[in-house]
Amino acid sequence: MSDQVTTDLIIRAEKLTLRFGGVVSLRDVSIDMRRGEILAVIGPNGAGKTSLFNSLSGVYQPQEGSITFMARDAAPLSVIGKKAHQIAQAGVSRTFQASRLFSALNVFENIKIGAEDHRGIGLVGALVKGPGTRRGEHQSDEVVIKLLEFVGLTREANLIASQLSYGARRRLEIARALATDPEVILLDEPAAGTNPSEKLELAELIRRVRDERGVSVLLIEHDMKLVMSLAERLYVLNFGSVIAEGSPADVRANPVVIDAYLGSSHEETKA
Amino acid sequence: MTMFSPANLKRLFLILVITAVVAVMTGTPGSSTASPTTGVHGSFLERVSWFGLFVAPRWLLFTTLGVIVWLVVSLYRPRARSIRRGIDTALALPKALATKRSTRVALMLVALVVVIFLPKFVHESFWMYLIVEQIGVWILLALGLNVVVGFAGLLDLGFAAFYAIGAYTTAWLTGALPAPALFHHPIPTLWVIPIGILAAMIFGVLLGTPTLRLRGDYLAIVTLGFALIIDDFVETQSGVTGGGVGSAPVPHPALNLGFWHFHWGITPTPYYYLCLVFIIVFIIVFTSLERSRIGRAWVAIREDEVAAESVGINPLKYKVMAFAVGAASGGFGGVMSAGLVGIVNPGLFTFQISVNVLVLVIFGGMGSIWGVALGAIVIQTATSYLDNYQPWGYQINDLYMYIGALLIIMMIFRPAGLLPSRRRAREFAAAKGDEQVHTDEVLTGDQP
Ligand SMILES: Nc1ncnc2c1ncn2[C@@H]1O[C@H](COP(=O)(O)OP(=O)(O)OP(=O)(O)O)[C@@H](O)[C@H]1O
Ligand SMILES: [Mg+2]
Repeated sequence: MSDQVTTDLIIRAEKLTLRFGGVVSLRDVSIDMRRGEILAVIGPNGAGKTSLFNSLSGVYQPQEGSITFMARDAAPLSVIGKKAHQIAQAGVSRTFQASRLFSALNVFENIKIGAEDHRGIGLVGALVKGPGTRRGEHQSDEVVIKLLEFVGLTREANLIASQLSYGARRRLEIARALATDPEVILLDEPAAGTNPSEKLELAELIRRVRDERGVSVLLIEHDMKLVMSLAERLYVLNFGSVIAEGSPADVRANPVVIDAYLGSSHEETKA
Repeated sequence: MTMFSPANLKRLFLILVITAVVAVMTGTPGSSTASPTTGVHGSFLERVSWFGLFVAPRWLLFTTLGVIVWLVVSLYRPRARSIRRGIDTALALPKALATKRSTRVALMLVALVVVIFLPKFVHESFWMYLIVEQIGVWILLALGLNVVVGFAGLLDLGFAAFYAIGAYTTAWLTGALPAPALFHHPIPTLWVIPIGILAAMIFGVLLGTPTLRLRGDYLAIVTLGFALIIDDFVETQSGVTGGGVGSAPVPHPALNLGFWHFHWGITPTPYYYLCLVFIIVFIIVFTSLERSRIGRAWVAIREDEVAAESVGINPLKYKVMAFAVGAASGGFGGVMSAGLVGIVNPGLFTFQISVNVLVLVIFGGMGSIWGVALGAIVIQTATSYLDNYQPWGYQINDLYMYIGALLIIMMIFRPAGLLPSRRRAREFAAAKGDEQVHTDEVLTGDQP
């Protein structure tokens, strides 16, 4: 696989350093993500995983380093300095560790907001409702219906987001992120707070996101069993630095990782 | 006895402390006509004390009031649930009816007929004038601010600025300002309507682009600051704006379509219809905006800006849009009022006016177009009535005391407003259910 690395990258982050005052959240972090893979980032609490996601999605601006996003039919995009919405429009979508749904809207509307094209002004279109506007509405409705089916929320379409079970909320968040038609999706602990059977469903869903929709997946997850079965490759972060990279088997056998991460908290993560 | 439980006694103590503070702050009865509670003196309460025969010191009145409030609350609390259930069952049928589409349409038609024929029933032109100036214009203002506060969730404390822009643009274009006119001939007043609206919208963009990067409280402070700057500018730059005195007389509008000629004059009824037409237009425009992609983007930003950005929504763009769209009806309110009153002066857009409009929006129901319109009608009718008849020793100074009390009661019993928008009501319910998570916590991913 390593011979493809240079030819088919989708995200390349180089030497990212992110500081908050005295706290260094990321130190010289370099990550290569290949198109079409399920890549995971693991590490103990506070290792900088979410900070890395926030940097990739434009929520945080790292002080040093560079991030390049290589969309399929567009020139490579330099992510740093771009706003979060621009990165989302370019094709990098994400979910959040603590789910951030639009809790007063129903399931359908939540996904629809993701499916709509937010470029342009659209003031006239909103008022006159010409054929173009109506076609746009129709298209986003179609997208929503397909995604509802894809994540298995068709029956819940009219429920208010805050009425959903935890597992359903996480699936809704994935559906909303997919509605933007991304090339990469960043999933920050998608299974956090769910029960074991919901976890299995989510793992299945994530695999289908890649297999059926061809979206590359970058995943943060604490559940070792889940990550090891799902990810094809992993990066291990500790205290803001990458300490290991490789296949699940490699990582599991790596003494540095065992020392820094699995060794100290193996008992909790097994559960 | 729950009444004398420690918690309830603590509440009584708190109420007494508050009354004591208020009593100390406001001094002896009638000591100053400008003090916020002059109503206690020479008013309803004094009549209760048999026309001054038993004029009690203010602290005694306050304490009595406080104890009465405490008693009412103490008696209400144990029965609150059954009272509320009773109200719910009583309202079940009307509510079910109200959510039906046919009843809504019927109600709207009835309302339309009433407003169209209203001038037939109001014979005094004084009241007609008040209806336009105190209710119509304020509905326009409230509808505009509702877009900003209700739809996009931006706290704007300087909304009167847009009102002022509309009014001063009217005065300027009709040659009523000292500022040199842009055109040789003053523009006919009716042409000022589109220009006034546009000017307010452009100003909304100019004001919004730098300030809307801020969030929440910061935005409120900055909008307030801007309003004060404009206020100062108008007051001091008398060479441009006419200063504190205001403009020269603004001519009444005239419409000349070649085949049809109409002149708005002294009588308020034609203004009433002009205002009515525009209110209906703005209601239609704002309703379709709310239901469009733009409306949904506003909800997304209002609910969770970070999540909205993550699906490609540019918050700044949509916030500026909310400012500009809201400014449109505020600006038209200014054009209306300049034409009707016939003069423009800084009294038009004090901070108090911005606050008043905000009160109408909160009272009517943030985000609910019909609620806001109804709220404006209710409050503005009540204040016009009180100001003109001054019943039961009511004094104009006391208005804000009553409005403040009204808002407090609203927030306790109907926090989403008189006619809440469905989405907003849900937001209130959701906020009650799960604790709001602070933005920073969510970004770093700490679990709530
Ligand atoms: N906005 C911020 N302000 C200050 N410090 C921050 C901020 N965001 C992250 N940090 C710090 O950066 C470090 C890494 O945090 P991060 O949330 O990225 O860890 P994580 O690997 O996602 O942890 P977890 O597994 O608990 O989610 C922590 O020390 C955190 O306190
Ligand atoms: Mg995290």
